[in-house]
Amino acid sequence: MTDTDKKDPKLSPTGNFSKQDAPPYEGSLQCMRCGFCLPTCPTFVLTGRERSSPRGRVALARAVAEEKLDFTEAVKEESFFCLDCRACTTACPSGVKAGEIMEICRDQAHQLKPGGHLSTGFRNFILQKMMPSPERMESAMLPSRLYQRLGIQWLVRHSQLLKLGPDWMAKAEGMMPKMDKPLRLQLPEITPAIGEKRGKVGFFLGCVMTLMYPEISRQTVRVLAHQGFEVVTPKQTKCCGAPHLTEGDRKTARDLALFNIDLFLDQDVEYIVTDCAGCGSALKEYEELLEGEADHHRLAQFRSKIRDISEFLAEVGLRTEALKEIKRSVTYHEPCHLCHAQGISQQPREVIRQIPGIELREMKESSWCCGSAATWGLKFTDESQQVLDRKLNNVKQTEADILVTGNPGCQLQLAWGVREAGMPQEVKHLIELLGEALPESDND
Amino acid sequence: MISKKALQLLIDKLGAQNVASEKEDLLVLGYDSTPGLHHLPDVVVYPTTTEGVQAAMEIAYEENMPITPRGSGTGLSGGSVPVQGGMVICLNRMNKILEIDEENLTATVEAGVVTLDLFNAVAEKGLFYPPDPGSQKISTLAGNVMEDAGGLRGLKYGVTRDYVMALKVVLPDGTILETGGKSVKDVAGYSLKDVMIGSEGTLGIITEITVSLIPPPQDKRTFLAYFDDVRVAGATVSEIIAAKIIPSTMEIMDKATINCVEDYVKIGLPREMAALLLIEVDGHPAVVAEEAEALERILQAKAAEVQSARDTEHAAELAAARRTALSALARVSPTTLLEDATVPRSRLAETFAEIERLTEKYQLKVGTFGHAGDGNLHPTVLCDERDADEMKRAHAFYDELYEQVLAWGGTVSGEHGIGVAKKDFLALQIGPGGVDVMRRIKNAFDPKGLLNPGKIIDGKQQ
Ligand SMILES: Cc1cc2nc3c(=O)[nH]c(=O)nc-3n(C[C@H](O)[C@H](O)[C@H](O)COP(=O)(O)OP(=O)(O)OC[C@H]3O[C@@H](n4cnc5c(N)ncnc54)[C@H](O)[C@@H]3O)c2cc1C
Ligand code: SF4
Ligand code: SF4
Repeated sequence: MTDTDKKDPKLSPTGNFSKQDAPPYEGSLQCMRCGFCLPTCPTFVLTGRERSSPRGRVALARAVAEEKLDFTEAVKEESFFCLDCRACTTACPSGVKAGEIMEICRDQAHQLKPGGHLSTGFRNFILQKMMPSPERMESAMLPSRLYQRLGIQWLVRHSQLLKLGPDWMAKAEGMMPKMDKPLRLQLPEITPAIGEKRGKVGFFLGCVMTLMYPEISRQTVRVLAHQGFEVVTPKQTKCCGAPHLTEGDRKTARDLALFNIDLFLDQDVEYIVTDCAGCGSALKEYEELLEGEADHHRLAQFRSKIRDISEFLAEVGLRTEALKEIKRSVTYHEPCHLCHAQGISQQPREVIRQIPGIELREMKESSWCCGSAATWGLKFTDESQQVLDRKLNNVKQTEADILVTGNPGCQLQLAWGVREAGMPQEVKHLIELLGEALPESDND
Repeated sequence: MISKKALQLLIDKLGAQNVASEKEDLLVLGYDSTPGLHHLPDVVVYPTTTEGVQAAMEIAYEENMPITPRGSGTGLSGGSVPVQGGMVICLNRMNKILEIDEENLTATVEAGVVTLDLFNAVAEKGLFYPPDPGSQKISTLAGNVMEDAGGLRGLKYGVTRDYVMALKVVLPDGTILETGGKSVKDVAGYSLKDVMIGSEGTLGIITEITVSLIPPPQDKRTFLAYFDDVRVAGATVSEIIAAKIIPSTMEIMDKATINCVEDYVKIGLPREMAALLLIEVDGHPAVVAEEAEALERILQAKAAEVQSARDTEHAAELAAARRTALSALARVSPTTLLEDATVPRSRLAETFAEIERLTEKYQLKVGTFGHAGDGNLHPTVLCDERDADEMKRAHAFYDELYEQVLAWGGTVSGEHGIGVAKKDFLALQIGPGGVDVMRRIKNAFDPKGLLNPGKIIDGKQQ
């Protein structure tokens, strides 16, 4: 898209969208309706309904821009029904990003059709007051709210649509892992490199990781140090903004992005590493989110430093000399926000294969969404139970000991699913596996 | 507009979840993959059984409502676009594979089964369903039958028609027609099955299909050859065939396409080359070895550079350029016009020259790739539908190209069908006599002219 396109309202109409943050018309126009995205879209496969497919959603957005359709309840519904899994982006030959268009439509929904799935007051409270402040999040009941980012949020949105039973919330709580003390307060700002130093990296500690999976992120820092990197973990790090984008609050997301960019560019680090696929994909999208609102050069500089932990380790090369042998078989589930949103698919496998003793067994459809939050024994339709079942079935066939993934949302969903199905697999983040292979060290 | 009574009747017969009449649903079922075509239907139904199709047809028949069948809407000639409104019948929820018969080597499927799903299901039993249109990931088998879809394997293995053994069809008045069977030979009366194939949903609605299967080839060799002159590439294609080698794949890409692919994936393609050929031979290992040797000899003599795949992985690398061709082209501009001019093989080189000349004349961006072995080319215009002048030039480009293609004894459609997009060209190609016979056939099946009106020929109501 060029700037000239953007400026000519006749060529790039916003039509029935609100002018503030309207989805770019070019994005919809680019769709050639080939349908290649259809078989990869969980909500299309679930419903067989064109308007719940990427092609259909893009067509709706286009119709709104062309004033063939108002921004109706149904458009709003589709924008929230979309899982934002980005499988369609990977499948699309034409470079269309249906998931992203729907994300922007959620912001439109709040502008044009406020209220609904979450009451406005509640939503503003969570997104604008609580999440931007690490202190407030830690002192509140926020973990359970945060879980929204991971999928309960998807359920909340659809609790009516899907006719959930009254006790779904209680069951959802049952999925939550045991909560430890938030990691943010425990991690030193600077963790020195161990052995021959290879560089200095920033660690972006995500909200969900610090609150719900502190042990995983502790391992991430430990692995980075063992790999010869000095790790800087700024205490003031704020939420990456992904929950805000998902909920359609682009304004707060921008504020957070500006803050984090300044914070990390001040640190003089070569890379900014994250162990949460959701954070990684949001951080990599700051450039687009802030286009025209921040210094282009700084945005590009920030973007060029962001790495998922697996991407980073594959790129700099894993030092394997000291690694202990782990004689287990594993299978790998690809988080949507890693493989589809960031295009990172081979790197995690490369890292897994380098751990001595590990046998990697590929599952079928490894990049198919785990349904992060769809399904389970809540009063659900048969079809939607199939999203998780489909995944678990593929896991089962590998007969692997461990199910490895790289995103907290997937981990919650899969750990719960495996437990409910009575399957023997342990569910682990890639970095936990690597952490186990590390030798104990005095510096840890 | 559909009457309240008819809508209620549809809901009663098919179930509320299989009937849609909200504007948002209608809006997204008024297009297929043909650029610039869009019409709203009045109602959309998703039958799940043959009886459901029958019921919907009967209601439409009573209401005098046009009916447009639809598979996955990947068609490129507007076949599933409801140009006169009315009812769209979507077959994509009839997606069960009913039987794989290993004794007779056949598979029987519902109309909406996705092509690749069938391929995978029979592959699991060690069998092979060859037709592989570029859209196989999502195209339906009924859509394939109705467009007589071809694919990369067409040269050696034929097209969809060559595999259809039997069809179950609902006619516009609700009558059920079963034609063909599992017998390898069948000369009982007119071959109605063959009339149905390629009829683009204008004669009846398919609900079940039986296709034949074959054992898969045991071995395969892949070659990639670059040429500094398109004419030499064209001549090489003819020479290979003349040497009595029938490759399973013989795909061509021109310079513009090579450069678009290189811009997009940066895999080190030689940008200065005029064309590349991707060639595969498959079959019994002994035959493959022999053919590969002869093939390599021809290529070495003609091409500027030849690469031969060391193993499966390398073969996939060699095929990558062709596989990404469409993605690379589609990204260049908002609108992608994908056409399928087809000429006798011997005219391949001249066709490329003509495309080049017209590209220059009309000042367009065109990338051409296609099934060289079949003389089937996809000259793809990369444009922007908001630019009225450019669109006019694009259409003039195709008009002039098709005139020449016809003059060479070619056809205006090798695989995408006529639909609404190419009706005028069809008349040019087959003449008024041909059109008249087609119209009489159409009227025999669909006297009220309700089924997919406005497609292939302008039907005359009796
Ligand atoms: C990117 C791309 C690549 C393609 N590559 C190829 C290729 O390599 N080779 C090729 O031949 N084509 C190709 N096509 C064209 C298209 O995919 C084929 O024509 C395909 O067979 C259409 O299948 P569909 O299920 O999408 O049918 P639709 O587009 O939905 O319908 C096609 C026609 O069949 C009719 N129809 C559908 N179902 C029924 C039914 N049950 N009963 C009666 N009529 C019915 C419709 O009315 C319409 O006229 C390509 C298209 C795209 C977008
Ligand atoms: S794959 Fe891309 S171009 Fe094709 S229909 Fe989906 S969004 Fe549109
Ligand atoms: S992001 Fe996922 S759910 Fe949303 S349209 Fe794309 S594939 Fe479907």
